[in-house]
Amino acid sequence: MSLHTTSEVISFVKQLEGKSANFYENLSQKHAADRDAFLSFAKENQKNVAQVERAYYSVITDALESCFAFDINPDEYTFEVPPLDNTSYSQALNKAINIEERIVKFYSDAAEQSDALMGDVPIAFKMVARKRKDRISKLKSLLEVSQ
Amino acid sequence: MALLEEPIKEVRAIKNFIGGEWVESKGEIKGVVNPATGKIIAMVPVSTRDEINEAVKAAQQAFPDWRRTPPVNRARYLFRLKELLEENFEEISRIQTQEHGKTIDESRGETRRGIENVEVACGIPTLMQGAFSEDISPSIDEWIIRQPLGVFGIIGPYNFPFMIPLWSAPYALTTGNCVVVKPSSEVPNSQARLAELIDEAGFPPGVFNVVHGGRTVVDGMLDHPDIVGITFVGSTPTAKLIYRRCGETGKRAIAQGGAKNFMVIMPDYNVPRTIPVLMTSFFGNAGQRCLSGANLVIVGENDGFYDSFMDGVANAARKMIVGNGLDESVQMGPVRDKEKKERIIGYIESGIEEGAKLRLDGRKDFKIVGDYPDTCFLGPTIFENVTPDMKIAREEIFGPVMSVLRVKNLDEAIELANSSSFANGHAIFTSNGKAAREFQYRVVSGNIGINIGIVAPMAFFPFSGMKDSFFGILHTQGQEAIRFFTESKVVIQRWL
Repeated sequence: MSLHTTSEVISFVKQLEGKSANFYENLSQKHAADRDAFLSFAKENQKNVAQVERAYYSVITDALESCFAFDINPDEYTFEVPPLDNTSYSQALNKAINIEERIVKFYSDAAEQSDALMGDVPIAFKMVARKRKDRISKLKSLLEVSQ
Repeated sequence: MALLEEPIKEVRAIKNFIGGEWVESKGEIKGVVNPATGKIIAMVPVSTRDEINEAVKAAQQAFPDWRRTPPVNRARYLFRLKELLEENFEEISRIQTQEHGKTIDESRGETRRGIENVEVACGIPTLMQGAFSEDISPSIDEWIIRQPLGVFGIIGPYNFPFMIPLWSAPYALTTGNCVVVKPSSEVPNSQARLAELIDEAGFPPGVFNVVHGGRTVVDGMLDHPDIVGITFVGSTPTAKLIYRRCGETGKRAIAQGGAKNFMVIMPDYNVPRTIPVLMTSFFGNAGQRCLSGANLVIVGENDGFYDSFMDGVANAARKMIVGNGLDESVQMGPVRDKEKKERIIGYIESGIEEGAKLRLDGRKDFKIVGDYPDTCFLGPTIFENVTPDMKIAREEIFGPVMSVLRVKNLDEAIELANSSSFANGHAIFTSNGKAAREFQYRVVSGNIGINIGIVAPMAFFPFSGMKDSFFGILHTQGQEAIRFFTESKVVIQRWL
């Protein structure tokens, strides 16, 4: 079922960010060499939620249209987090890149859909998408080093 | 679907807030029903004439000390209130949904809009500054100061129970006046919660009072010699009455009435981008908004454009999710009560009788998400082939009904909008700057939208209105509210 209202989409943001933060926290425990990088990603996820919520709650006045701003199919962006026990480091990094690409696509699509209606929420989404693209570059660097 | 928790879990017994005390009314007690669930969530008093008199007396007694409190200190009470409102933001928003029916997104928007007025009024030390002219004549100086007047009455409507009293109260209070608020008795909970937070913020007793009730309370305000002015938002007949009676008794008045807003679509505009804007304009808050779109005017004789545009509009409206506003997936909640639903249905029937084409029937072409009684629910309704003489094109329906009219060109569209007796928030959708300028220049309307479906002014702008949509001179919000709540005193000085 599609997500149409901003309230729903913000709840979905929390799910995505929370799930990926858990993934990085687990990864940091298993691969101590890059622990700091993974923990910083998990921490940044919390900041992303705060940034999006601030845009929604603080500047909602230009978002009176927020019930009609989206047509998001959550299945396109949700992801499974595999158990890391039997996963090699490069497999885990590839999974992380895959997760990030999905999340970037979500933020980019959501920003585009809501751009005509809302001022601040799409800007926040675009900013988070940019941060996550940088994260993909970092993950690719880690992957190169690991191979 | 995520159903958010209801903040009101047991039936609340609502009391008046008079002179800093929570006072039980001696009046009749009525139930407040959640329109989505049909459950009673509060009991509200219909207060008596004596009780409104008590509140005015308490306010009058508080006034001398409050007006002597320096503006910078008065602002600090508001800063504290602002903190409390932020801390309780979500609860306040959910209360609005529970008592009114609007969606949680809409309630959060309403809460934020209310808080913004508190924020603007926090700037009172600057906002109420006067002006000084040295040497208007040799050794003679002249200056103007703004002084508070006394006790004001604030009468709120049911459609924005939290926000609308805040278009006035923060400005009245920070300029040094005291207030008595009468919330709509249909939706008293959010103002009761606001009064609790004002109490918690430590405002001196009597500065802010709330008296719940109906006509008796309003009459008590209008008749009371110690009420110096009234702000009101509601229907046009009542706004006219309030304005007239304030005139008779020498009170200041801001009386905001009804609306019938025209949304004019030029054929050059981006169709996919317009449709969601129109959904919220016509059907947001279940159409119970004085800035809602009511008449959709499509410009041009291109039938192909008209057909594809209307297909888009009707398809979007048909897919709308209707239900309990605390369900995050819901795009339109119920209307406030059964009587309002019946009134709206009456308009739908009149549209059919007068020959309009019913493209989407909000009486039956919708499904409620979740297991709720259909008592107050309606879906979106769309009428095509509407002519300007039809009742559905002329009168304020105040519900989720779109009347579609066609005109040949922009001149006709402007003429049509200007033929309405209302003038609150007309809008044009176009990519053509010249057309936009012509529209905003020639259309008589307190608020004008250019590619904006709900022309709601921010707190630092006045909430304007013209013709039968507004009676008064100054408006609520921002600098105009400061002027409304203060008297200009001019001093001319010479020392020999």
